[in-house]
Amino acid sequence: MSDLYIPKLVRIEDVVEEAPDVKSFRLVFQDEELRDSFKFETGQFGLYSAFGYGESTFCIASSPTQKGFIQCTFRASGRVTNALSALSIGDTMGFRGPYGNSFPVEEWKGKNMVFIAGGIGLPPVRSVIRYALDRREDFGDITIVYGSKSVADLVYKNELAHWDERADINCIQTVDPGGETEDWKGKVGFVPTVLEEAAPSADNTIAIICGPPIMIKFCLSALDKLGFNDEQVYTTLENKMKCGVGKCGRCNVGDIYVCKEGPVYSAAEVKKMYDDF
Amino acid sequence: MILSKEKLGALVEQVKISGALFAAPAVDGGQVVMKSVNVADEISFDYVITANSAKEYLFPQTETIAVVEIEKNKVKLSAVEPDAPETVLFGVRPCDAAAFASLRSVFTWDFIDESYTKREDKSIVLSVACTKGDEGCFCTSVGLKPDTTDGSDLQLKETTDGGSFVVEALTDKGKEFVKKFSDVFDDGSADTKAIFTPDEIPGGVDIEKIKERLADPAHYADPVWPELARKCFGCGACTFSCPTCHCFDITDEGDVFSTERKKNWDACQIDNFTLHASGHNPRDTQTKRWRNRFMCKFHIYPKKFTTKGCVGCGRCVRVCPVRLDITEVMAEFSK
Amino acid sequence: MEEQLRKEARRLLTEGEVAVVIGYGWNSRKTRVTPVFITNPDDADKLVFNALCVNNLSIYLTRKYKDIKALGKPAIVAKGCDIKNIVICVSEGQVARDNVYIIGMSCTGVVYKQELWQGELTDNIMPTKCHNCEVRNPHVTDIVIGDKVDFTPPEEPTGMVFDKIREFDRKTPKERWDFWIDHFNRCIKCYACRQACSLCYCERCITDKNQPQWIETSAHERGNLAWNLIRAQHLTGRCTECGECERACPANIPLNLVNSKQALIVKESFGYKSGFDMEEHPPMIVYKPEDKDDFIK
Repeated sequence: MSDLYIPKLVRIEDVVEEAPDVKSFRLVFQDEELRDSFKFETGQFGLYSAFGYGESTFCIASSPTQKGFIQCTFRASGRVTNALSALSIGDTMGFRGPYGNSFPVEEWKGKNMVFIAGGIGLPPVRSVIRYALDRREDFGDITIVYGSKSVADLVYKNELAHWDERADINCIQTVDPGGETEDWKGKVGFVPTVLEEAAPSADNTIAIICGPPIMIKFCLSALDKLGFNDEQVYTTLENKMKCGVGKCGRCNVGDIYVCKEGPVYSAAEVKKMYDDF
Repeated sequence: MILSKEKLGALVEQVKISGALFAAPAVDGGQVVMKSVNVADEISFDYVITANSAKEYLFPQTETIAVVEIEKNKVKLSAVEPDAPETVLFGVRPCDAAAFASLRSVFTWDFIDESYTKREDKSIVLSVACTKGDEGCFCTSVGLKPDTTDGSDLQLKETTDGGSFVVEALTDKGKEFVKKFSDVFDDGSADTKAIFTPDEIPGGVDIEKIKERLADPAHYADPVWPELARKCFGCGACTFSCPTCHCFDITDEGDVFSTERKKNWDACQIDNFTLHASGHNPRDTQTKRWRNRFMCKFHIYPKKFTTKGCVGCGRCVRVCPVRLDITEVMAEFSK
Repeated sequence: MEEQLRKEARRLLTEGEVAVVIGYGWNSRKTRVTPVFITNPDDADKLVFNALCVNNLSIYLTRKYKDIKALGKPAIVAKGCDIKNIVICVSEGQVARDNVYIIGMSCTGVVYKQELWQGELTDNIMPTKCHNCEVRNPHVTDIVIGDKVDFTPPEEPTGMVFDKIREFDRKTPKERWDFWIDHFNRCIKCYACRQACSLCYCERCITDKNQPQWIETSAHERGNLAWNLIRAQHLTGRCTECGECERACPANIPLNLVNSKQALIVKESFGYKSGFDMEEHPPMIVYKPEDKDDFIK
């Protein structure tokens, strides 16, 4: 593999402005063969190139059940993501991946699912939500608890509206106190509190959390109270990465290389890790 | 087999004629460094260890991995083949030679980084066993010896008269090399100078004990860490001179029309190495960064890559502007 | 002298006047000195002072060292040359004078690098700064340790750096350029020079600013030149010629040469010597109507 660090060219087919500074791109490989052969699993990530600026790491936000394209969602916050943000439909960028492990969705057949996300933490979870919705009959109850700082900061607003309408999903949206608007119909409060109020049953259930570290911490204790054990709870870690393939030495948490053995871990695994977050 | 120093000139010349690069210890900027030489006169024999390790011949400080040309919306992306000439690495110290296996283990761990492996495959290592050393040397504390043959294709030992080397061909590559340049190698043997042995580390070092202590995540909370590492500047000189440090950065250089994608050395000691775009930094103090380096050497390398993270070359001890001596930390964690 | 130092450190810590004494102590082999942070009065005996104490410890007063700050008010063992850096840090608002207790050390010179030590301090292993030192009796202190040193620096600066500068001034611009390109080519971009400098206290260095990327991070000719020139420029008129950058450089780049040349130019142009006056700002960071403008042609 002599082109280990060489990205594949992708064309931006669609751009959605999700929230202030947050955009989603729908990407299609320039190489037609690759469009068909490219495979990935929920939870995997990629490195996205803005040529002239470098690469940035984030998850694939679409689901493997969606064929022919990949979607990514990112916040413009650094050199590369600002440059990506300046691109528009028809532009070319680079993609390398998929890398990392994935959510064991096959093992979860027949289980109830609880998805918990905060802010820009929804995209990795969204890949699994899409997957579960596309195979709705494989799963039991689906609960989504999603919150952000303010109404404007909620990502995937269209999809949230759609999830809200569906009778077979319990979708709870919340914003932090002070972040609500006059016509806000969702909850006001922090995600862990809202999660505890929603009180999804722990019985035969898998919970997936993604969001800021502090939110994860309090959600873990909320789930604990609700009777979830650490094997039932999954999260996806994000660390700075440059190579994505276990060489560049940045993403390690103690002896665990997030890019290779992660980014998906059960809460039980996270609790055994070195305190390097 | 004997290689007389007088015949080194012929060896360098023949190697150069064959189109290969000949790197050897030579004076540059007031210190002995591994550098490409054109004639044998440039080679230094009076050195403990070269200031840089030979790693940069297999893993360069900076290399271009791709070139991108952008015209309107047409992007032309071309991967750049690694520049991997046949290379003779002469006068490498045995500790540095032993480090190549460590680098290889990282660069071939599942994904294969061919820019490393191609260069290593095309290099031949002629190590010279140590007949002198200094206070920084501690190879014997990490399970190596000043005449370790790990990683060497040929090992040379200086003769008592100082005029020649006794040569031992250790690998097929080494034997091929001797065959190829047979007229510079003479049959025979001679007495060789005594091998230097580094001093014991005060307090003693027990690598197994260190590994055991580092394997328990609880040591992160040990108050000894800030005590040991507080003085670190975070300059990164230890990592840049280390023969097993492998961290790098991938970055673009150029403009929006024409850009080069670079792979450059980077260092876990630099403060923004692990900084997230959100502003969060998992290793936000120098103590944490230093602890990570020690973990990498004595826990991650042996556990994950099953190779040595530290070969005891002592460069980090010598270059540290605040004398944060890794052997003192090793002694502390051997308790 | 060491006894006097230890006694003062013990007093400061016992009376709670400071929380930590930043000084020098032996390594485990007692062959080299290394920075130590004494917080317990019982450990005051670990403090040493001798000709190996070349490190400029003032770096630990800068705000990058949050864990040292967290210990509480520091006392610092400082030679006159180190105090110059503290003076600049105070004048630039980085360190409050009241927040540091300066234990000034009378000094008869230190080694250029500890590795050169053979048991005796001779002229040829002393850095250029020691040959021209005006502050062997430290100038800004809370206490002075040691006897008064009788030393008058030579009128014309002497030592290897100044010899080189004089030699350099005779060279053509092309020769100078080649000289620096040759030296900067060895740079490995480890930024040890920056990290060792207590006046490089920015929490976000220009090299870390990437929107736009002001300095290319690759260790190639262009990137190395850009970095080394910018480092020098940011220290013009501020650098106290303490020499820590050159000492820290693993590639042996003669950074003192560029620093001292700049200091000479600043002295000539502005009559300013850095590190003496806490009230006065270094000339390149302030504008004065009477600033010379004869370079504008």
